[in-house]
Amino acid sequence: MDNDTLASIEELRRLVAMSGTINMEIFYWWCTALMVIIHAGFLAYEMGASRVKNALASGVKNILAFAFIIPTFFLFGWWIYVAFPSGLVPSATGNAALPWSDTMGPNLADNATGIFWAAFALFAATTASILSGAVIERIRLSAFCILAILLGSVLWILAASWGWHPEGWLHTALGYHDVGAAGVVHMIAGFFALGVLINLGPRIGRFAVDGTPQELFGHSMPMTIIGLMMIIVGFFGFLGGCIIYMTGEQWVNIYGQPATLSAFAFNTLMGFAGGIIGCFLMTRDPFWMMSGALAGIISAAAGLDVYHPALAFLIGFVGGCLIPKVQEVLLKLQIDDAVGAFSVHGAAGLWSLVACGIFASGYPSPNGPDSSLYGQVVGGAVMALLGFVPGYLGSLVLKSFGLLRITAGAEKAGLDIVELPVRPYPEGHTPSTHPVAAE
Amino acid sequence: MNGSPISAWDGVEAYFTFADSPLLIGLFLLFVALVVVGVITHSAKHESKAFKRFP
Repeated sequence: MDNDTLASIEELRRLVAMSGTINMEIFYWWCTALMVIIHAGFLAYEMGASRVKNALASGVKNILAFAFIIPTFFLFGWWIYVAFPSGLVPSATGNAALPWSDTMGPNLADNATGIFWAAFALFAATTASILSGAVIERIRLSAFCILAILLGSVLWILAASWGWHPEGWLHTALGYHDVGAAGVVHMIAGFFALGVLINLGPRIGRFAVDGTPQELFGHSMPMTIIGLMMIIVGFFGFLGGCIIYMTGEQWVNIYGQPATLSAFAFNTLMGFAGGIIGCFLMTRDPFWMMSGALAGIISAAAGLDVYHPALAFLIGFVGGCLIPKVQEVLLKLQIDDAVGAFSVHGAAGLWSLVACGIFASGYPSPNGPDSSLYGQVVGGAVMALLGFVPGYLGSLVLKSFGLLRITAGAEKAGLDIVELPVRPYPEGHTPSTHPVAAE
Repeated sequence: MNGSPISAWDGVEAYFTFADSPLLIGLFLLFVALVVVGVITHSAKHESKAFKRFP
């Protein structure tokens, strides 16, 4: 070949590489945008699940979780992910993720860091939002913000560094497989919420003197159900952010194993449908049906890249059947999880990891041993402890200083009138015409 | 205020404002941290004050 031809080929290669780089940026940009819809969904979901006297305060809490996660994830969250894959001792590779690094800002030699940071920051905000719903109507806003930062900008990302990173020790030592973040996001958030709920206590009136659960109906079930559907829409961005775009090559999952977005499409939808049907069978309650949709996707998430779609449906179905029962157990223990966050995220996340070990052992990895039930169970135990213990201890410290829970008077009056300068429905609110729920 | 660390685009890598001034970048980061801590602290004080009316 003459020099002109070689130059043309080289130019073509350069163009293809740049086009691929920009396509990568575009892909994660829109995944991030879709994940913002998760927050719109959580916002509607929590406000609808609150009684009208707390509707806006619940919204403020959710908005602030998002707002405080972003700067704190910039200050130290991303560094934790890059620096801690081997455990609790930071590595020097994390230096590039420190907030004063040249790559942590506009840089023409780095198209990747900002867009990946953004996607991970939205994962962090999602994790914090999971806590937000569980504690509505009685947690102090400042306490919630502190706990949300601990959960979203420290714990989930430490879990991700251990189990959702090609060099994370859970993967390299045990073959831990959690492609869709069932453990590192959902279990961490669900178990953290459980730890907080134990110290926070139930809302006034949630349980009778003899311990019988009393319903505290939210003021807008339609808003809650639509919010849940918006979370499902956002999940497609969340799960899209779980696969790595490789210019000129096949996609890979977070562990470097070959994967396709088609696999994610099959199994996300099949898990979604299985979860709804499972919850419909168990409850006939539209709130739980849409929670079941989330639980179905989460149940299939760990093995989203490898399951046969029929298996993903069945795993989602089992998850959908499981979560109302877990909520019943919490109620028997007089733990008031206002939106079922532990059952939907914690319990379904654990089921997801175990199911992946039962049905998807033996897949090879370039960075660790084959996937196995043992690796999944150990990983699940690590996620449960990493979520629960800091949640319990962090909220215990706040409680010991009287900073965790609002006063009884404020709880009875409602947080909107106590803390906020505006009202949700200043021209009136239509009361329910069905005060008693069907059996 | 001239925040540009560059005078031409050839061979440029990091080009964010004050990339050539680690001291200023450090101050910006410190202020971000102070805003986060300060607003949460202020919020806690506001809550305590508000709750006194609703013991």
